This record gives sequence, structure tokens and C-alpha cells, in this order.
Amino acid sequence: MLLLACDAGILSAQSASVDFLRSTGKIYAVVAVIVVIFAGIVIFLFRLDNKLTKLENQIKNEQ
Amino acid sequence: MKGIWWKLAGAILFLYVLIGGITVPLKPGITEVSPSHGYTGTQVQLDITGYNTHFAAAGDNRAWLKLDSVLSIPHSAITADDDNRLKANFVLPQGFASGDQTAPLTLIIDNSMDGVFVQPNAFFLTRDTTSNNVNSGGWESDALKGFHHPSGLAFPYRSILNETIRNTFFHVALWFAMFLLLIAGVYHAIKYLRTKDIDHDTRSAGYTRVALLYGVLGLITGSVWARFTWDTFWTQDIKLNMTAIAMLIYLAYLLLRTSTEDVDKRARLSAAYSIFAFVALIPLVFVIPRLTDSLHPGNGGNPALGGEDLDNTLRLFFYPSIIALTLLGVWMASLLIRYERLRYKWTFKT
Repeated sequence: MLLLACDAGILSAQSASVDFLRSTGKIYAVVAVIVVIFAGIVIFLFRLDNKLTKLENQIKNEQ
Repeated sequence: MKGIWWKLAGAILFLYVLIGGITVPLKPGITEVSPSHGYTGTQVQLDITGYNTHFAAAGDNRAWLKLDSVLSIPHSAITADDDNRLKANFVLPQGFASGDQTAPLTLIIDNSMDGVFVQPNAFFLTRDTTSNNVNSGGWESDALKGFHHPSGLAFPYRSILNETIRNTFFHVALWFAMFLLLIAGVYHAIKYLRTKDIDHDTRSAGYTRVALLYGVLGLITGSVWARFTWDTFWTQDIKLNMTAIAMLIYLAYLLLRTSTEDVDKRARLSAAYSIFAFVALIPLVFVIPRLTDSLHPGNGGNPALGGEDLDNTLRLFFYPSIIALTLLGVWMASLLIRYERLRYKWTFKT
């Protein structure tokens, strides 16, 4: 009986710690994933932009 | 404006996935039931917490505790505190036919607004010392009927996953798109080795680079997703580690391409290496994780993507997302390829 009471205590403590996550249904995880993908594409664009600028300067200097 | 349609298609499809994937609601679910256990022959009041539920608004709530495919207990009294909180009373039977001391019961709730939804193992019924090993009074055999099935699009509710089931459209689709881009990269690598046309090398490198970007994004998004569901950024999950190895093999490909200035040598080396890396990728990502325990679907005896994990409402956005991310990837790769061609032309002009 005592064992069961302890079990119940552990169970309720666990559910309290994830209450915040549950209150929002973990929607922030989805937002974060979309932000990561967007950031990745932006980084790709920046790098391509830099490469193109270098090539443009090269062409300009040699002409 | 020739050749713009597929770029536009990719952008519009991805917009469709973004908007639809975020705005379509989740089906209702049960997040918490307390108390979670009780004894035979007693009465119990369950405090049920729902997610996306309309207990108060619907008003016609019904609840059951189901023992097996036949027997269940209907509620004796039920009150909705608000849309997400329900109090259901049950008169627990005197006994149940099982060799075990405790029987897991499935909680089923139905109302006209939410339809029917279940929480397996929501309540554990423990045998009282005086109770016998038979299905005694209190169990009903045909109580489960008259369920509501509301129309409208909704994603399945999965405990632990909750809203993050939407990441299927982004994280999972990213890997599928990566694989398609790698196939394009390997195709051009083989083409180069057969024809020695340097343009195939340029194309192969473009597709592989974007695929690698997708792979890295896939690892990061997976890590973020794991933080919210498995409660850690990185687990010893076999699929994670094998994929990380595959990514490192491909990172070596990028290093290889910067290692020599001799264009033909570089093309030959990287074509051969990319075929090797692709061949290594298949057992690392698709075979080894299936042989051992894994948290990923389709691995270690887990069911593959399917059933509730990928139902038809998810497919409605999952497949378009793969197409969209692939088209956007091909677009990005084509920009890289065009840049490389220009640079090549300019470098060897004189």
C-alpha cells in the first residue's frame, strides 16, 4: 500500500515537471524546427551571395 | 521566364505545407488521468485532463473503462468542469478474469464535438484480496456503441508527441529530400566517370552540397525535436549515431573537393568518393538501425511510418513537403551549379 502511494507520488511529480510543455502542446518544438530550416536556407543564401560578390570583383578587376 | 514553373511550384507547395501544417488542429487527446489505479469493488472518481477537448461545450460526454475487446465499465456519473477537465465516476466490478493481480484499463471518452478518443493503460485495476478470478457483475459487454465521428481535418493526437507530430512535415521530409538530392548527385558522379564531361562534376557537387545542408539541418531539427519529446538533445539511439557517421563521411567529401586545384583530378576523386559515400550511407541509415533497438519508427522492431504515426491527414502534407523541399533543394543546387559554371568559364577563359 505504501509502495503504491510512493508510486503515485512519483507519477504526479513527473507530470508536474512537464506541465509547461503540455500547456502549450510542445508547439515551440515545431516553431524551433521551422526556424532552423529557415536559418539554414538563409545561411546558404549568404554564402552564395559572398561567393558571387568575390567572382564579380574578380571579373571587374581583370577587365 | 523559361523553367520557372517548378521553382514556383516548390515555393507554393512549401507555403501550403507551412500554412496547413501549422493551422490544422490536433485531434483531442487525454493528457492526464488521476488517480491512475484503484481496487476491485470500490468506487472511483477520475479527474481527466484533456487536450484540444470540448467537454463543457459539448455537454454530452460519455466515458468507459475498457478491459478487453468485449468488456467495459460505463461511467456512473460525469461532470465537465471546463472544456479540458472532466470528472467521471466509475463503480469498479468485484473481479476480473485474469491471472494477473492488476489489469490495465483503456479510458475511452466520447462526445458530439470531439468524437471518440482513447488513452490506453489510463487506469490500473488491482485485485482486492477478497475478489475472485472471474468477470463479475459491473462489466458490460455491449456498452461501447454510438460513437461520434466529427468531420473536419485533424492530425492524430499522440501522447508525448502532441503538437510536434507536425515536425513530420519538416524533419522527416528533409531526410527524404536529402536522399533524393543525393541520388541526383550520385547519378551525375557516375555520368562524369562515364563521359569525363566536367559539367557533370559541377552538377554532382551542387546536388551533394545542398543534400549535405539538408542532412545537417535534419540532424539539428531532429535534436530540437528530441529535446521536447525524448527530453534530450542527443541520445545513444543507433539511427542518430549512424547518421552522424554518414554526415561525417560526406563532410570529408567537401574537404576532398578543396584539397586539389587540379580540376580533372578533383572531379575524378570526388566522383569516386561520392559513389563510395552513397553506398556507405545505405547500410548506415537504412540497415543497421533496423537491426537494433531504436526510438525511430520503422527501426528496432518499431512499426514503420504508418498507422497513427502517419495517417491520411498527415500524408496530405507530408508528401507535398517532400516534393517541395526537393524542388527547393534542386533550385538551390542549380544556383550553386550556375555559379560554379561561371567561375569555371572565367578561370579558364584565358
